[in-house]
Amino acid sequence: MNNPWLTLLQDFGLAAVPAVGFAMIFNVPKEALKYCAVLGAIGHSLRFALFKMGSLPIELATLIAAAVVSLIGIYWAQKWRAHPKVFTVAAVIPMIPGVYTFTALLAMVEIERKGYSEALLQTALDNGLKALVIIAALAVGLALPGLLFYRRRPVV
Amino acid sequence: MSAGEVWVVREEQREVTRLCVQAGGLLLQHGAESALVESVMRRLGLALGMDAVEVALMANGISLTTILGGLCHTTVRRNQDRGINMHVVTEVQRTMLLAEDKQLDAAGVAQRLAEIKPYRYPRWLVSLMVGLSCAAFARLGLLAQGEEADLATFALTFVASAVAMHARQWLAHFHFNPLVNFAATAFVATSIAAQGVIYGWVDSPNIAMSACVLLFVPGFPFINAVSDMVKGYINTGISRGVMAVLLLLACCAGIVLAMTVWNTWTWL
Repeated sequence: MNNPWLTLLQDFGLAAVPAVGFAMIFNVPKEALKYCAVLGAIGHSLRFALFKMGSLPIELATLIAAAVVSLIGIYWAQKWRAHPKVFTVAAVIPMIPGVYTFTALLAMVEIERKGYSEALLQTALDNGLKALVIIAALAVGLALPGLLFYRRRPVV
Repeated sequence: MSAGEVWVVREEQREVTRLCVQAGGLLLQHGAESALVESVMRRLGLALGMDAVEVALMANGISLTTILGGLCHTTVRRNQDRGINMHVVTEVQRTMLLAEDKQLDAAGVAQRLAEIKPYRYPRWLVSLMVGLSCAAFARLGLLAQGEEADLATFALTFVASAVAMHARQWLAHFHFNPLVNFAATAFVATSIAAQGVIYGWVDSPNIAMSACVLLFVPGFPFINAVSDMVKGYINTGISRGVMAVLLLLACCAGIVLAMTVWNTWTWL
């Protein structure tokens, strides 16, 4: 996999799948599933491009990607007459740092089982803080258009 | 007000109060963020002719007051979590928008709200799609590490997470506590993935073991928690965040139990 554009294209296609899968867990209406798929793909591949190719820190890349998803989501939401969160949250699910979160918690469980060790505490803190900041970046990114442009009026 | 004169809240106002709290209750029960719940309740009340609508959201309840001509009518409802359902959120919001456009009166709103039946996708379809989602996560994980695709890792992750998702929906059907449900099904997912590790079916056991439990990450509650707190609803934000962390801890219990039973420690 040496061609970076091919990798990006794969990322684009793959990210659409969890966006739709999780949209189904959240019972997003059928007509909105296509928005989830496209936004999920755009969001994750944009983050991949900024992070891997643009060498931005992952937190900042996540914030920018979530804000872009939210902006496009607002445009579609106004056309479709529903709150953008109905499909933008499912669209950012592929960017949720699930592995970081579980690694941090399992490291804490290990500290409880085996007793304190510097390596375990380091794993717990590194992964836990990373997960926390990325989740905050996602939520703030989604809220950003509302905080900047729709301050005293509703989006839909 | 002179002595002996009694002011009574009129039935029309009572009806609007009930409709507002019903709409807000539906939103809160089905996983809408607090800012949306409050704005829909307020806009619905104003659209149906109230002078003002005041809302106080609590972690597991709503209190709401409508004000008309100086008379207040207050009601409180307990909130029970019914699981995330964006179909219901969309329908409630559209009812409010129709009332704002004067296409629905109070009776029309009442009828539309009563007709909302939470839509659910067929269970097999959700399990299939979630299985594919976790398989895609496995591939994305390999991609981020710059490694080649591995069909066996893919297939194992798909089977483990699809079965776990089916078990999760099945247990939810019997109204088990979500914490119990998540612990039990995380055990199932990790146990299936562990077989692949034990018998050496896959080249990347770490990826399969971690990707197959990603369906348990409560992403929606986490995002709701942060956006609630950013928008000033610290109370509901904290309660949603704590619930999400508890769900994760329940999963961890299931994962640790499975790794102990099968003696495959791939995570750390």
